[in-house]
Amino acid sequence: MVTNIQTQLLGRDVSFPVEESRFGYWLVVLRLIVGWWFLHAGLDKFLAWPFDASWFVGGAAAQTSLGPVVTLFSDGILLSFTNIMVPLGQTLIGLGLIVGALTRLAAFFGAFLMTFFYFINGETGGWAHGVITGDLLGLLIFAMIATLGAGRVLGVDAYLAKTSFVRDHPRLRYFIG
Amino acid sequence: MSQPTTMERVGLYGGGALILIGTVGMGLLEIIAGAPHPVSGEGQVVHETLISLSVRSYTILLGLLLLAAYGVTNLVTKPPEDTSI
Repeated sequence: MVTNIQTQLLGRDVSFPVEESRFGYWLVVLRLIVGWWFLHAGLDKFLAWPFDASWFVGGAAAQTSLGPVVTLFSDGILLSFTNIMVPLGQTLIGLGLIVGALTRLAAFFGAFLMTFFYFINGETGGWAHGVITGDLLGLLIFAMIATLGAGRVLGVDAYLAKTSFVRDHPRLRYFIG
Repeated sequence: MSQPTTMERVGLYGGGALILIGTVGMGLLEIIAGAPHPVSGEGQVVHETLISLSVRSYTILLGLLLLAAYGVTNLVTKPPEDTSI
């Protein structure tokens, strides 16, 4: 089946057909691959515990555009927080995407983390391979998953969306889907 | 999608435009007017840039921040239009 998307962009009417079965298939493929990417990154850090992010948030990041924010997390309790939240966040983001639960929330935090990876990895490497890096593409894929609400395709979010709790709290639909 | 408000336009179009300027726009300028950039044996592009890399960084970062602000504003001010889920 084909659905005709009708919208407006830059003040112009825009319409284009989308082939639904391929769209659904592709959303699941994207979700699973990106989910495994992050689940693996998170579990890897837990398996090699303890994880120490100080080289990244302290050393590497200091001279970058995100330095003023990130170096706040380079010692003390905020570093401990980072050391736990990076692997935990990556694991939960990966799990969320793979099972399609709280998909938009997971994708948002995925994009949030990728923003730090993109600028810090890119700037410390002198953008040696250009400004379009794998980190930026990862960020864009997270944004796409959140925009399209990929969790409703063979995901837990399809079930969550039907619960009375979500129906009573419509804003929760920003986190699932 | 209903007509975006002016603030939403700033977030959506402004954010997208800044990211495109930082990546595609400045990239094109580097190709047209920048120094030659041979690729070294290690696959690194070695050349002096026309536009400072930190300017490119900040342009893209500002674009991402505008898009993030658009998302957060949407979340705070109104429920999603999609009522099918």
